[in-house]
Amino acid sequence: MNARFAGRLVVIAAVALVIALLPFGLTNYHQGLGARVGVYFIAILGLNILTGYTGQISIGHGAFMAIGGYTTAIMSHDHGTNLIATLPLAFAITFVCGLLVGVPALRFSGVYLALATFALAVSVPQLPLKFSKFTGGSNGIRTATAPGNSWLYGVTWACAAIGFVGAWLLLRGRTGRAFRAVRDSELAATSSGVALPIYKTLAFGISAAYAGVAGSLFVLATAGFAQPNEFGIILSLEILIGAAVAGLGSLWGVVVGAVFVGLLPEISASVPVLGSGHGQDVVFGLIVIAVMILLPNGFAGLLRLVESRFKTPIESDSTTS
Amino acid sequence: MSMKRRLLAVLAGAAVVATAAVTAASGAPAADPGITSTSIKIGGTFPLTGVASLYKTIPAAEKAYYDYVNDHGGVNGRKIDFTILDDAYDPSKTVPLAQQLVEQTKVFAVVGSLGTAPGLATWSYLNRNKVPQVLLATGDSYWGFSYKKYPWTTGWQPDYPGEAKVYGKYIAANMPNAKVGVLYQNDAYGKNYYAGLRVGLGAKKGNIVDAESYDATAPNVTQQILSMKSKGADVFVVFATPTPTITSLVTATKVGWTPTATFINNVSANRLFLLAAAGNGANVDGIISTTYTSSSTTQRSLAGVKLASSILDQYAPALKASFDRGDANIIYGFGVAWTFVYALQHAGKNPTRASLMKALRSLNTGANPFVYPGIRLKTSAKDNFPIEQEIMIKWGGGATGDWTPFGKLLGPIR
Repeated sequence: MNARFAGRLVVIAAVALVIALLPFGLTNYHQGLGARVGVYFIAILGLNILTGYTGQISIGHGAFMAIGGYTTAIMSHDHGTNLIATLPLAFAITFVCGLLVGVPALRFSGVYLALATFALAVSVPQLPLKFSKFTGGSNGIRTATAPGNSWLYGVTWACAAIGFVGAWLLLRGRTGRAFRAVRDSELAATSSGVALPIYKTLAFGISAAYAGVAGSLFVLATAGFAQPNEFGIILSLEILIGAAVAGLGSLWGVVVGAVFVGLLPEISASVPVLGSGHGQDVVFGLIVIAVMILLPNGFAGLLRLVESRFKTPIESDSTTS
Repeated sequence: MSMKRRLLAVLAGAAVVATAAVTAASGAPAADPGITSTSIKIGGTFPLTGVASLYKTIPAAEKAYYDYVNDHGGVNGRKIDFTILDDAYDPSKTVPLAQQLVEQTKVFAVVGSLGTAPGLATWSYLNRNKVPQVLLATGDSYWGFSYKKYPWTTGWQPDYPGEAKVYGKYIAANMPNAKVGVLYQNDAYGKNYYAGLRVGLGAKKGNIVDAESYDATAPNVTQQILSMKSKGADVFVVFATPTPTITSLVTATKVGWTPTATFINNVSANRLFLLAAAGNGANVDGIISTTYTSSSTTQRSLAGVKLASSILDQYAPALKASFDRGDANIIYGFGVAWTFVYALQHAGKNPTRASLMKALRSLNTGANPFVYPGIRLKTSAKDNFPIEQEIMIKWGGGATGDWTPFGKLLGPIR
């Protein structure tokens, strides 16, 4: 167990080192792309806590990103708040929003919950149009200042690192066990003394808070510009796709999921014949289908497969399940 | 355990190789973005798809003009390399595309990008990075008024509030008892027009009996039209983009609303769009608008129209049919591209971004062959509105008709 833990630490350290050193070899533009991958990393991490660990499906995380993004844009635009200071604020606000959404969600499960969160993803981005005096309406709203790409890269991945360690500590302990118990069998969890309402709403709150911070950084990465169309249903689906590619119920594949949804649209436009001239969505779709067929359990599933090839499967793993 | 280590080593190795590959591919940054002794890279965002895609002939015409200039030696030996990106008139797409133009394509300037909301969305980003955002294809007055805060931005065409004032004054003078119904797009673009109309109406602004807005992405405007009809409006003023304008004209006729006069804005007063509206059953006779470009149907003998026609034959034959039917966007694109080339020629032997802006801030020429005869492009350190003259036009001849100018060249309209 200890050796395994040490091995994991080495992997994390290696990946962290690569991410930390990467910007020094990148152009300004690629640093911007790297920051965008970091944004997806944080959002996918958050969704994984809810969907992967607690078993509650959400296709509405774009809505929480919108709330976080508008928090940053409005605070900076109207009050000149320091951009970094808006991040914890977005975290707090979306945490509360997540808890509130978690309450009615207690009554839903499975596909019904998915539909309810879908409604969230569709309706929340319309609110800025309704309150256009406050939010700029379809003209959008801009932060008072906007950071450069190296700043973005650093801040985004710093947040990602904090988020990752936080999620890991949370999920390996008592709360994580309760989450997994809820996922595996609500009945069994309740009879073991897990308070369902508390843990379900908590999972929604934490997950939404991650999405909120991701939304703030997303707006900053879009030159500090927040506009309703940025947070369309596609964004929610991208996060879900990223989480599926990463592998639900494991933290080890998240970076792969983030790279997948963060860079693939960019790459698929350059696929000859099919990708050129508005074909990139077709290419993206085909690749998603292919990945889901080949890696039904995502990248984390692939890792487990490779691990089991390398050694006899005797250890039962409590963190990756 | 050793297997595990081996796996780790492989993963770490792969990551390092990936890093090295990306690093190698990224290359060294150029000292002077977008300009060499033989080329100059520019780019713009346009709605090639989506609600405002009827504008897509503008960048195509601009490209044809730049190709023509390139084949005649370029500008001081530099060929213009024009990148056209599709933002579908969605400002949330414009920002990443502008970032792409500046950071990846590394353009010298963003030229002729289309749309008010897209322009506003990228305004501060481009100015912060000191990238010229010039000859924007939007007539909002921001570009002209805010040159102190946003020194890297210029418009080109007459400003919308000024244009709306023309209609307001006309209505106040010629239809003093009109009951005016206004349909405007629910964003800065539509609201600026509406504000200008109220200024133009002056004391008669109380004659507006109904002002209805619609969202740029709304599928139809039936509700709004019905509201105007029910409030007894008899003058219809439309401040929309082409597709909703066509839709509103058709809808008005369909619901049996027959205003005594209809005004549409210049950007929608393309002959092709009126033909489309008439083809779908709209009553188009007597519609009033304004123009500042030459007409490719009624002014064929003008040197500019002839030049445009021959350039299209050679560089963009696909556009020729719509040009001959009166697609004003094509001649508009030529006018903008001509202005950019003219400014570049006057920006010194080795233009910089700053010298380009200086050239655009000191225009004084009546030589643009594509604008309406008599119009001068004029700017100064304190005047950032290149074109400030327009002439009113009226439609006659129904589904096979055309615009006829009336009155004298107005201006400065602001």
